[in-house]
Order: sequence, then C-alpha cells, then structure tokens
Amino acid sequence: MKTTIDFFNFFLPFMYLCTFGFYFYDFMKGGKKFANSKRLFLFLTLLIHLIYLILRTAEFDHPPITNVFEIFTVLAFAIAFSYFILELVTDIRGTGLFIIIISIIFQVISSFYIQDLWQVKEVLRSHLLGIHVFSALVGYSAITISAVYGLLYLILYKEIKLNKFGLIFDRLPSLEILEKLSFYSAIIGFILLTFAIIIGIIWLPKAFPKFSYADPKLIGTSLVWILYGIGISSKFLGRLQGKKVIILSIIGFVIAIMSTIVTNFLAKSFHSFY
Amino acid sequence: MNLFGISINHRTAPVELREALYLTDEQIRNYVQKTKGSLLSEGLVISTCNRTEVYGVPANASFGILEIQNSLINHKLVSNLKPEHFQTFSSGEAIRHLFRVATGIDSLIVGDNQIFKQVKDSFSLADELKFSGFLMKRIFDAAIKTGKRAITETGISEGAVTVSYAAVQLIEKIFSNLNKKSALVIGAGETGEIAAKHLKERGIGKLAITNRTIERAEKLAEKLKAKTIPFENFKENLHEYDIVLSATSSSNYILTKEDIVSSMKKRNYNSCVFMDIAVPRDIEPSAKEINYVFYNDIDSLNIIVQQNLARRREEIPKVEKIIDEEVSSFLKWFSSLEVSPTIKTLRDYFEAIRAEEVEKNKNRFSPQDQEKLDIITKRIINKILHQPTIEIKKLSESGGDPDEVAMQINLIRELFGLENKSNKED
Repeated sequence: MKTTIDFFNFFLPFMYLCTFGFYFYDFMKGGKKFANSKRLFLFLTLLIHLIYLILRTAEFDHPPITNVFEIFTVLAFAIAFSYFILELVTDIRGTGLFIIIISIIFQVISSFYIQDLWQVKEVLRSHLLGIHVFSALVGYSAITISAVYGLLYLILYKEIKLNKFGLIFDRLPSLEILEKLSFYSAIIGFILLTFAIIIGIIWLPKAFPKFSYADPKLIGTSLVWILYGIGISSKFLGRLQGKKVIILSIIGFVIAIMSTIVTNFLAKSFHSFY
Repeated sequence: MNLFGISINHRTAPVELREALYLTDEQIRNYVQKTKGSLLSEGLVISTCNRTEVYGVPANASFGILEIQNSLINHKLVSNLKPEHFQTFSSGEAIRHLFRVATGIDSLIVGDNQIFKQVKDSFSLADELKFSGFLMKRIFDAAIKTGKRAITETGISEGAVTVSYAAVQLIEKIFSNLNKKSALVIGAGETGEIAAKHLKERGIGKLAITNRTIERAEKLAEKLKAKTIPFENFKENLHEYDIVLSATSSSNYILTKEDIVSSMKKRNYNSCVFMDIAVPRDIEPSAKEINYVFYNDIDSLNIIVQQNLARRREEIPKVEKIIDEEVSSFLKWFSSLEVSPTIKTLRDYFEAIRAEEVEKNKNRFSPQDQEKLDIITKRIINKILHQPTIEIKKLSESGGDPDEVAMQINLIRELFGLENKSNKED
C-alpha cells in the first residue's frame, strides 16, 4: 500500500496540472471544446485525491492532519472540491483555472515535503480534533475561494472602468456574480471557522496542557473571524458593498495565510506539530 | 445542374439601387406568378434591404441568366439598373453563393443572424407559392443545415455588432440578472428606441422613458409597456434606476457629474451604469471617475463592436470549410441522381440484347441446356458490366464538379445510344 501512496503522492500534482491545462486552454481559446471533459478530469483528479487521503488514513492509522504538509494536501483537495461543487451548482465554468492553481500550489508543496509518520501524538488521533481541523480547513478553503473571486471582481471592475475589453472581460462572469460568489464563499467560510473556533475553545484547553490564548494561530484566526464578521454584517446592514467588502475579504485571506506561516514555520506553539 | 442564380447586393450596387429593387412579399408573389412555368420551372426569391436574389431552374433549355436578370429588371422597373449591378452564378456556384448568404458571411455585417431567418422565410414563401420543386426543396434543406452548422460550430454570429447591442452586452457584464434591474432611457428617438427594445428583449425588470416631447415618450412607452417620466424632473428620480441610457439630440450635457454624484449618494453607491450613445454626448464624461459608476460613450462601445467584428471575420475560414463540405455533399447527391438512371438504362440495354439473342437461338439447344444458356449469358453480361458500373458509381461518389460528371455520363449515354432508349421508354 505504501508504494501506491507514494505513486499517488507524485501523480496528484500531475493530475492537477492536466486539469489546470484543460481549464487554461478553454479560457484562452474561449471555445467549449473541453467544457465537459475538463469537469470530468477535475472529478477524476478529486477521486484519486480522495483515494489517496483514505489510503493515508488507513496506512498510518490517523487522519492526514498531523503536520502542515498533510494539511496542505487536504487543503488542496478541499479547495478543488469546493470549486467543483460551486461549478456544478452555478454552471459558471470560466473561473476554474484561478482556483485550481491554488490547489496545485498546496499539492506540489505537500508532495515534495510530506513525511510518512506512523507514530504521532495520541491527541492527534482524536475525533474531536478531526472535526475541529476539518471544519477549519474547509472554512479556510472557502475563504480562499472568496478571496480569488474577490480578486477577479477587482480586476474586472478595473477593466470595465478603463474600457479594456480583453480576455478577462470576455471570459469572466458578471461583476454581480463574482461579488455574490465571493460573498457566499465568505459566509460559508465564516460559519465553518465559527464552528472550528467553538470546538477549539471548548476542547483544546483540555487536550493541550500548553494551551494559550496568546497562541499566534488563535490570534490570527480570531482576527480573520472578526474581519469576516464585520464584512458580512456590514453587507447585510447595507453599510458596505462592492469593492469594500471584497477588499475586506482579501485582507482576511492574507491574514489567514500569514497566521499559518507564522504558526507553522516561525513560532513555537501548541498548534505546531511538525 | 441547370440552376442559375442572380444577386444584387452591397458589393455590386449602391444602397439606392438595392432599396429600389427591394421586393415585398406581395411583390415576390406577383413576380413568381409571372415567371413560374414560363421562365422558371422552380425557384426562390430572397429580398432584404441589402440584397435581392433570384435562383431558379429555367423552364426551357434556351433560357439563361440574362432572361432571369431581365425578368427582374422589367418587374421592378428600376431606372439606372444595369446588368453589371448583378452577380451571376450557375450550378454549383449558385449553391455555394446561397450557402454563403445563409451563413451570413456574405452579409454587410459579417455573421448577421437575421439573414438566416430571412432565407428560411424566403424558402417558406416559395413553398407556399408552389415555386419550390424537388431540387429547391433539397437545396433548402442543405442551406438550412449549413446555416445551423455555421452558428453552432463557429463563432460567426457571436458578440454584439451594433452600438446599442454592445451597450446591452456591457450591461450584462456588470449585472447578472436584468429582471431585477430598472432602466431609464432618455430620448425616444430611433437610437433610444432600439436600445430600449434590446433592454426589453433581455428581460429588464422596469423600464421608464423620458423625452423632451412627452407624447413621443408615451408612444414608445406604450409600444414597450414601459412607464414615462416628465423630462423636467427625471433627475430627481435618477437614483431609482440601475441603468441610464441616454440618446438625445441635445447639444449640451443633460447629466453633469454633480447630478450623478448626488444620485449615487441617494443610491448608497450601489453600482449604476450610464450608457451615453448620443452624439454629441449627453452625459459629462468625468462621471466615470465616480466609484461604482460605469460610464460608456459611443467610442468605447465601438471598441466592443470592432473587436466582435474582427473575431467574426476570423471565423470565416471555418465557415468556408463547412460550406465546402455541404456543397460537396449536395453535389454528390445531385450527381447520384444522374448516375443511378444511367446504370439502370445501361443494364437494361444489355439485358435486352441478351434476352433477344437467347430467344432467337434457344431452339438450337436441348431443353435441358436452354436453362443453362440463360444462366451463362446473364453471367457474361454481369461480368462485362461489373467494371463500368463501378466506374460510373465512382463518378457520383467523388463529389466532383457536377458539370464534368454530367459530361462523362452523357458520353456513356451517347456511346451506347442510351438517350434514345430512355426516351423510348418514357
């Protein structure tokens, strides 16, 4: 089984790159040549990725959330899967390459640096931790998607304002749709982060003796949560809309990324396991 | 194929002549009544503001393009109309031209999708007048198939190619669902009317029209089921509209940047589109500096139009390829019409000789051998005709020039005197 896991580990970036290639070709050419086959290829990639994650869990006897590179591969899957669902529901097929590229980045880093750990701390085998991490990861993938759509909104907004009617103008959906996609993803991200934080507050102090409220990831996530909370409520109250909400969403995403880097690579905290 | 086509279009004649030669449905009916049977055994007349075309099979072998041309000139009596204003086609070239027309690549605006409907309507009229016979019906099917293929397999009809439609295309890049949006059209002139119609067609939620002369606005509003607002106080209601489309003949700005800033404040800076399709412009251009204001004038909309036209021109080779395929397939079918009867007549001719000779000589054979004689002679004839039959079939399957195929078929017919045989049978 170990050989299969190793094969999938290096095969997955290739699959993501091929999927990206299909989406890229359709975006550039504007035809509908790969309209269905690119979706099918994305589905196959996700299927292989799911099998890979299941095999890892079975082989190493713990969910693949015990170190940052395992988390990266789950994140790559969660982002691509969320996009796949979004594409199925909305039938907006022109934005895939901007999302899949994020999955490629996470998966390539993971494939190169991931280690096979049979022995992990007992706490990492907990189901509650699984739920905590899973909701946080899907939440993060939702805010990643929200940020990507936000960025696309800003680019299209500028192109229209400057009367540039190029590829971006032709291929992207309307500003209103991009704004909605970004906003709805942010709401999903916010709900899941709220859930992850609640579980964390209840359970983490009991599980980790070194638990601290000054933990960088905790501070970072709380900041992201507050920022999204402000953005979403302001939008609902009609105080903020359009570019301002989108910029807030992008800032939230940047803080989330910074918090991950600081926690996992720079600072020593109870949240670092690698 | 004894098919002729004449065309007067934007490349061959100035607009005055094209307009003068335009035939209404009633005039087409009269023309068909005059020519059906006497000049053309079957045919088709297409007439739009940009082209008038007649296709037909002459009723008499001595009639040609000139007679068809004169029939049209005499029917409409347009002064200054000369034979050089016509493009003329015969057999395969006439089919090719008709397919080019149906796909829109021969139109003034490349990929014009109205022409496809007009060609369909022309065929329906010919059918109704019983002017379309066996050949025309088949041509109709092939032309419609070619037109549909061009639309679905290429981008020849994609993108807006008029300023008012480009305005709607741009609006749809900003708002996703026009059903939930409201629009105000300032100016009820021709341009305003076209733009308002486009918005209505795209399902705009609420449409209002304002004009200096309110009666004109009311007339258009009635036509489009829109509401009107008095021109004197439309600025007070400006904030209620997500889309403002201006097309007046005013020589001064009717909306200044200040007006728009004030409206945007009332709208809480919800996105608003201002389309200025008037010349000179109606809206102060610096309005585009305001956040969430999407301002476009006729020049910027023209960029979209020119880009779309360029893209459509790039699609022409793909459409030409489809036309080549369909013309070739049509000619192959047509050639098979000539080939199949020739094979049959040739075989009948040989069979008749064989039967005659067997009948004459069968008494020289014993009753047991007479049956064998019949079988052997049939086998000989089949062997002799095997290769010629294959070669004749190849002529139809090659899809080559129908005139050349007809020439070769005629040669075979002359060689064996088959023409006389067929006539006798008839």
